[in-house]
Order: sequence, then structure tokens, then C-alpha cells
Amino acid sequence: MSSDNVAEVEELSTAMSSSELPKALDVLATLQATVKKQVLGRDDVIELAIIALIADGHVLLEDFPGSGKTTLAKALGEAIINGSSNDESIVPFRRIQFTPDLLPSDVTGVPVFDSNSNAFHFRHGPLFAHVVLADEINRTSPKVQSAMLEAMGEKQVTVDNVTYALDDLFFVIATQNPLDLVGTYPLPTPQLDRFLFKITMDHIDRDSELDVLDTYKTRRDLSGQLETVTRDQVLRARKTIDNEVAIGASVKTALVDISRNLRDDDRVLQGNSTRSMVLLLPALQVSAALRGRDFVSAEDIELLLPRVLGHRIELAPGVSDVEKVLLDNMREPMEQLARSTLSK
Amino acid sequence: MTVRVEHSSHHFLPTSLRATIIASSFWVLSLSMTVISGSIAAFTGCLFSCYLVDLQLHKQPLNTLRTSTILGLSFSAWLLAILFANFAVNTDTAAGLFSPIVAFNLGETMKWFGLSASITFSLRTLAHRLSFGAVIEILFVASAFVITLAAHRNGMIHRPFFIGDFALTRGIDPSSILMAFGCGAVLSLSALLMMENNQKRLPYHFTVLGLLCFSLLIYVRMFGLPTPQMTDNMGLTGQAQNGNSGQRDNPFRDGENDNNDKEAPVAVVVFRDDYEPLNGSYYFRESAYSEFNGAMLDYATRDDMDRDLIEHFTNSRSDSEQLPGANAERKLVRTSIGMLVPHRNPFGLVSPIAYENTANPNNLRFKRTYDAYSMAPEYDFEYLIGRDTGRDDWSEDVLQQYLTLPDDPRYRALAEELIQDLRPEYANDPFAKAWAIKTYLDENGIYSLKNDHAYEPDPAASFLFGDLTGYCMHFSFAATYMFRSLGIPARVGIGYSVPAANRAGGSALLVQAIHGHAWPEVYFKDIGWVIIDPAPQQTLVDMTTDPQNDLQQLLGDMLRNDASFEDFLESQQTSIIQLRTILNILYALAGLTLIVAYLIKVYRLWIPAVSANESQYRLGYRAALDRLSAVGLHRNFGESREKFAARIAATIPSIQPMTRTHLALALGDSQHEPDTASEWKELDQSIRHEISSTTVSWRKLLGILNPFSWLLTK
Repeated sequence: MSSDNVAEVEELSTAMSSSELPKALDVLATLQATVKKQVLGRDDVIELAIIALIADGHVLLEDFPGSGKTTLAKALGEAIINGSSNDESIVPFRRIQFTPDLLPSDVTGVPVFDSNSNAFHFRHGPLFAHVVLADEINRTSPKVQSAMLEAMGEKQVTVDNVTYALDDLFFVIATQNPLDLVGTYPLPTPQLDRFLFKITMDHIDRDSELDVLDTYKTRRDLSGQLETVTRDQVLRARKTIDNEVAIGASVKTALVDISRNLRDDDRVLQGNSTRSMVLLLPALQVSAALRGRDFVSAEDIELLLPRVLGHRIELAPGVSDVEKVLLDNMREPMEQLARSTLSK
Repeated sequence: MTVRVEHSSHHFLPTSLRATIIASSFWVLSLSMTVISGSIAAFTGCLFSCYLVDLQLHKQPLNTLRTSTILGLSFSAWLLAILFANFAVNTDTAAGLFSPIVAFNLGETMKWFGLSASITFSLRTLAHRLSFGAVIEILFVASAFVITLAAHRNGMIHRPFFIGDFALTRGIDPSSILMAFGCGAVLSLSALLMMENNQKRLPYHFTVLGLLCFSLLIYVRMFGLPTPQMTDNMGLTGQAQNGNSGQRDNPFRDGENDNNDKEAPVAVVVFRDDYEPLNGSYYFRESAYSEFNGAMLDYATRDDMDRDLIEHFTNSRSDSEQLPGANAERKLVRTSIGMLVPHRNPFGLVSPIAYENTANPNNLRFKRTYDAYSMAPEYDFEYLIGRDTGRDDWSEDVLQQYLTLPDDPRYRALAEELIQDLRPEYANDPFAKAWAIKTYLDENGIYSLKNDHAYEPDPAASFLFGDLTGYCMHFSFAATYMFRSLGIPARVGIGYSVPAANRAGGSALLVQAIHGHAWPEVYFKDIGWVIIDPAPQQTLVDMTTDPQNDLQQLLGDMLRNDASFEDFLESQQTSIIQLRTILNILYALAGLTLIVAYLIKVYRLWIPAVSANESQYRLGYRAALDRLSAVGLHRNFGESREKFAARIAATIPSIQPMTRTHLALALGDSQHEPDTASEWKELDQSIRHEISSTTVSWRKLLGILNPFSWLLTK
């Protein structure tokens, strides 16, 4: 979304009266504005990240090193302050660099013996944060990967049979390098299912890149002065959007039909899960809210479906263009969705 | 409509196949119009253009040119080719350098190469760039074959000549070549259609082909199919048989016809009034030889002669200019005549006084049908005794014409000799004289179709003063000359003479080829032309025919247009539903579809005005979309409403807020009902305004006229 869109969102949000939605949209707009000031030329990724954050999902970025993933994750984490929460163990942002020799306890935390109290105290691992950047997640062993993915799925970690809850806002941005695959442990499709979006990023355009070079100094000084939102505000926005953005029956019909079409397609070995559709619904709601709508529309599906399903379906040998497969299978249900609006 | 359609013909094989097909149609088309070199040039020019367009149109520099530019360039190239061709043919340069033949071939080559290359270039470019372009191409190929074979009509398998001559000189049946051509055309067209793997275009093609077939059907319904000619010569002449062979230069050469088909029916006569001739034969006069042209008798060229004959068919009634006399001794007989083969003149029972064209009850069978009114004689020959000859209102000149004979004294000498023995009271009686001459011929003449007189300067003299062997022409000419030599005005009547027995009690009479006849006639004062027909007692020809009573009856019924015949025809019809009924139902359905479509169109535009507020978002939006569809703006398949709105927002900006409101109410929670009534009205007004201000007027008119525009609204 460009900066005009933010203004538009604000304008529209004021138009919507008698609901909590405007407040939620304010939160989203602030988040978006704050992150955008620090990450240039990645507006679409920022939007998807915020959608995933509000929709309680996680994001897998496939990108080259040095393309601003960390900056994005850090900016997002720092834009959310703890506010009234007094849990000292939760920090806004943590980064984990995954390596082959990493152990699960390095991620989750470990009980250490405190000689003063003569007892074990759990030392929180980097997962106890609002936003966690899991860098090069495919470089670590499956053991660590599964610990990580359990945390992502259950929002809890279990160490020595003691379960520690993670923050409600727990949001993971994982990355993997699409090219340098030597010595990696690629995530299998079921594990990829844990990620709401898999976003493949291209290099940013020329003007944005110039912009990055021009403003890197000012942006470095900027951190700390930017507007922030509290964790509670984000959680409330999540709830508000879930309550107030409507998902029409024809939208759900379209989603189910697309899934069924995909499963019937010869080019698809394994279609998407029902869970993926369940996960998609809140994302659609956020996307609609970001566009100032209180209803989910075809536009949201067109934007999000490729990101959500792209890594969830397995293509038959010889088929490579997942985008085309998706578009082919979307066309008919989307047409039905469009037609449905003219009938009662 | 310059939609650039993605065309999948970058492959060599389809390109070659298509090039070959179009090139063959050029070859076929050029065959009849140019020499071999021209045809080869047309073929190669077409191939050249096909490959050029198919392989280069998507590359520089052709892809930068507009379609109109390419068409213009092709046309100029053609003009240039014609210019060069004219230069080669019309000036001495090429002829002087080589030879005139080479110059001519060079000219044809250039002309046809230019023609086929430029046409193909235009056609292929259109097919690539326009959605309906390939239709033109298919039409071209189809018409090339049609034009070539158009000469082959009415079952004339010898045409076009370049095919017929080629085949016939090699002893091949031309029809197999023609059929091969037809099969080639069908295969080519199907190949062209099958190569079109762009599914968007197939409906166009099939619509065009369907329209072609339908218009063919309509054409046949309206104008009928050409009547197949029933001839026994394989249709090689393209003409029907001569029914009456009296139209030849030399009537005496008729005998050379080996009358294989002497029983062939030429006409059927239905008697509407009862009449029985006294002399045993029905005479039907078609025309007469009366004017001596220096060698023999011929058709009268003078207007004041033979005015009793009715020379031409007219579409209404034609009356004889000169009526016979002695009406008390004649009976008015109406006959209906159906000609089975074409005749130059109508004929009628002697003496015909009027012909009236009648509706043809079966144009597959009858060439022409008409009613003839005749004053048929009921007097016997005694009535003629003592009568004077000639007619009062004949000028001296006309009388002389009827008395002219070859400058041969033997006629008069023989005639004088024959009337010597007449009893004194009849010595000066014209009828008695004529009868004496007839009797002489009856007794001494030998009827034969084989004779040696045809090439004599005067065949009648050769017959009369020779072996007296001949057929009706010889008898009638000899008799007429002798009548004339005695001062009796006479002529040779031509037509048919059918034995009265052939009627076999029915009212129909079949006239067959063998009944073609010529006879001498004498003009008696106040009576008219009287037939005095010699009937040779010796005959070498079997003049009898097998009775064809069934055919006679059937044709008679057909001509009478009897209900029984209609019943017979109907009983023959296998299909229960008439084609006409089917067509009428089709027309009615088409009309009904149009009316219903218009009604729906109007209803959908009108209903928002009276519907409730809560359905406004749906009906009002639909009406707005209908308006947009009418001017060609409609959502594509699979396109979302937002995308469509964004796509046309440049011209119709109001559609975006309208779409948003529509979707909010259609997809969102409809609890919070915004006060839409005024808002809708405003949006609707602005959309109408935007449409009318951005659309060209012909588009608007088309939008109003098109009854199916609302079908595009989805």
C-alpha cells in the first residue's frame, strides 16, 4: 500500500461509524507507517507481514541475504511495545540465526540451576518475543525445526516436561535462501503448512534501492522516535477485525470450490488442506480491513490465495508454474463469486 | 476492433499446409484466366506471402506497422506489379529483347504474382490481427472454388471448359474431375477450420458457414434449383433436344437424324372440349414455310404474310392477327398443352387463334404450359369444292409470294398433266386440282427417311422428278410447288400430326418426336388455310408407335393439375413436416427471441425505478452494468467486479464507488443499511452521463438496437 492508501484507509475508517473497526484500522495504519519508514520498496511484503501478524499466522520469506528481512522483522517488532504488560520475559523482537549445530534448547530456553535459591530457573529462549526472526530456517537440523514449528503451531514450548506459554502475539518471520541449498534441511510440505504465507521476494526496484542508499543514515537515527502501538492494541485490533469484517457465504463457497478444483487438477499431486482455508479466513478479513472494507471481497482472495496456497500444494512432476495452476483453478469459482452478487 | 489475437501459427508445418491450401485456390482461380506461367506465378506468389506473413509478422519491422498500412502497401505493390506487367507487354523492350511470347508470359507472371502475393498478404495479415480476419480467408478459398465451378451448372459436366476439354480429350469422365475438385474444396476448408486452434474464433467461423448454408437454403427456397436437363447426351451440349426439328437451315436434312428416339415424348395435349378430326389425324401447327427465298420455301420475312401464325410466347394471352373464316363449319376447341422439350414457337390444334400462358403445375416436367384456342374444322372436303382461293385483303404482292416457286417448268408441266383427267365440271376447281396432285403423290410416292435429295439444289425437284422417295418435307414441298404452279396459293405447314386413334378414348394426347410433320396447305377464300396432306401408300418406315397410354394418362393428369395428381405427389412425400413449416417455425422463433430479448432488456433497465430500496444495490447495479454492456464495456470471465471497475474507471469513474457500495451490501453484513436511495440515484445519473459523454454515437445507437446486450452483463 502506498502512502495515499494509508490516508484513504484513515479517511474511510472515519466513515465507518458505530464500530470498533476504525480504532483497529488506526493501529494497522500506525504499524504500517512505522515499518514503511524503515523498510523501503517493500510495501507489498510489509502489508502481507502485517496481515499475517493480525491474522495470527507466520510468514516464510524466500529471499536473498541483505534484502531487508531483518530490518523488516526488527521494525515490526519494535513498533509494538509491551505497554501495560508486566511480563518482563517477553521482549519485542528476537532474532535466531539457524545453523546446523543449533540445539532445541538454544531456541526455547533452558532451566539453569540458581545456587541462591537452590532451584532450577527457566531461562527464556529467544522464542519469548512478539516478533521472532528465524533466519535461514532450513539450515538447522530437523530436530530444531520441529521444536520451532511446535512453538509456532501451539504457541507454547515444553522443556523438561514443563510447558511455558508464549506470548499471544507470537509472530515468526522465517527466511530461507532459495539458491544456496548445500547442507540444508529443506522444510517438507506439512511443515510449510504452519506458515500462513510464503513470500518470494524479488529485488526492489531501482528508485527504491537509490532511496535506501540515500536515507540509510536518517533511518538509522529514526529508530526510537517512531510512533508505536502497544501489544494490547494489536490484540484488540485482531479481535475487532475478526468480529466486524464479514465473510459472505459466497466467499466461503468460492474458497471451497477453489480447493476442490485444485485437488481435482491433474497437475496437482496433493491439494491444499482444509486447515489452510481456515487459516486464510482471518487473513482475508485483515486484508479487507486494510482496504477500508468491512466485508471480504474477491480482491482479497486474489491477493492472498496465491501466497497462502503456493507452498501448500504439491505439483505433479514436470509442472512448475504454480501461479498458473492456481489462476486456472480460481477462474471459475471467482466468476461464480462475482455473479453471486447480482442474485439475491 | 483491432484486438490483436494471439495466433498460434509460428510453426512451419501449419504454415505450409495453410499456404498450400490458399495457393491451390489461387491456382484454381487463375487457371481459367491466365496461361500456365500466370498460374505458377499466382501459386508461388501466394506461398511467398504466406511464409512472409506467418514467419515475419511478429518480428521487426512488420510488427510495428499498422494493419491499414500493411493493406495499403499490399495494394500499392499490386498496382506496381500491374504497371510492370503492362510495361512488359505493351512496349517493345521485352518483346525486342526476347520474343513477344516471352514478353507476354513475363507480363502474366508479374501480374499474377503481384495479385496473389498482395491479396494473400492482406488476407494473412487480417487473419493474424483481427478476430474475424480468418473468416475472410475461408470465404476467399470457398469462393475461389465456387467461381471456378460456377460454369458447371445445370448438370453441364463439360464446363468449365478447361476441365471438361482436358478430360474429354483424354477419355476421362469429367464428372470425376469435378467431384475431385469439390472434395478438394471441402477438404481444404475443413483443414483451414481445423488448423484454427484459437477457440475464440471457431464460433465466428461456424457462424459464417452456417449463414452461408442458410442463405443457400433461402436461395433455393426462393428461386428453386436449376432444372436438370433430361437429355441422353451426358449433358455435353448443354442444350435440350430439339423437339421439332423445323428450325434447321435446311429442312431437308432432317432425314439425317437417325431418329433413335422417335418415341420420345415432346408434348402432351389435353382436350378441354371434345373434338374428333374428320381425316383421322390431329394436326398441330407450329409455323409455316411460305416465302420462296430463291432456293426453297422459308419462314416469311414479310409482316403481311402468314398473319394467322402466332410467332412468340408471351406471358399473357396472344391472339392471332388473322382469324380463319367459315366459323359455322368450325368448332372452338380449347386444349391445354404442356411442352416437355423447349420449342421456339407455341403450337396448337389447327387452326390456333390464341395462346394463353398457364401456371406450370410441375416445372420439373413441363418446359412450358399454355392453353391453345383453336377453330377446329368440322367440314368435309366436299365443302371445299367450288370454293375460290386467296384472301380479299391480301395485296397483290402477298398473293404473288404465295404463288412463287422455283424457276423450274417441270412443276407446272407435271401439274398440268395431273389435272388433265379431271372431269370437266371440276376442271377449274382449285380443290379438285389440289386433290388430283395429292392423289398422284399418294399413289406414286414412297415414304422413306433415307433419301439422296438433301444435297440437291432443289430437293423437291430431285424427289418429284426422280425416284419419288422421300418423307413429309419432300411431299409437302413438291405438292406446294405444284399447287403454286397452278395459281393456287399454298404453303408448307409445320407442326405435329398425331393419329386420332392415339387418344384411345381419353382426353389426353401424347405428342412424340415421330409425330413431327410438314404438310401442304391451300388458302380457300372465306375458309382459311386448309391442309391437303399427301399420304403415301407405300412406306419404308415403320411409323407406328407403341401405345403409351399410361404415360399419356399420367402426363395428362399432371397437366390438368388434378387433385388426384396432387394426392399422388403428396403420397410420395416421405417427410411428414414440410420444409416450409420448419422454416416458418424458425422465423417465428427468431422473431419471438428478438421480442423477448427486447422485453428483458427494457425490464432490466426499468425495474430499479420501481423496486424497493433494499434491492436497489442489486437491480440498480445490474441496470448500470446493462448500460455499460450496451456500449461494449463488460466484465470478462473470471474478472472480479473490483478489477472490472478499475479497468474502466478511466472512462466511467463513477463505477468504482458504485461497485464498492454494491459489494458492501452484497457480501457484507447488511445490518448497517446506508441511506442508499439518494446515493444510488446520484451514482446512476453520473454513470449515465459518463456513458453518454464518452461513447461515440454509432456505439450508442448499436447499444440501443442490440437486443442481446444484456446477455453480456454477468
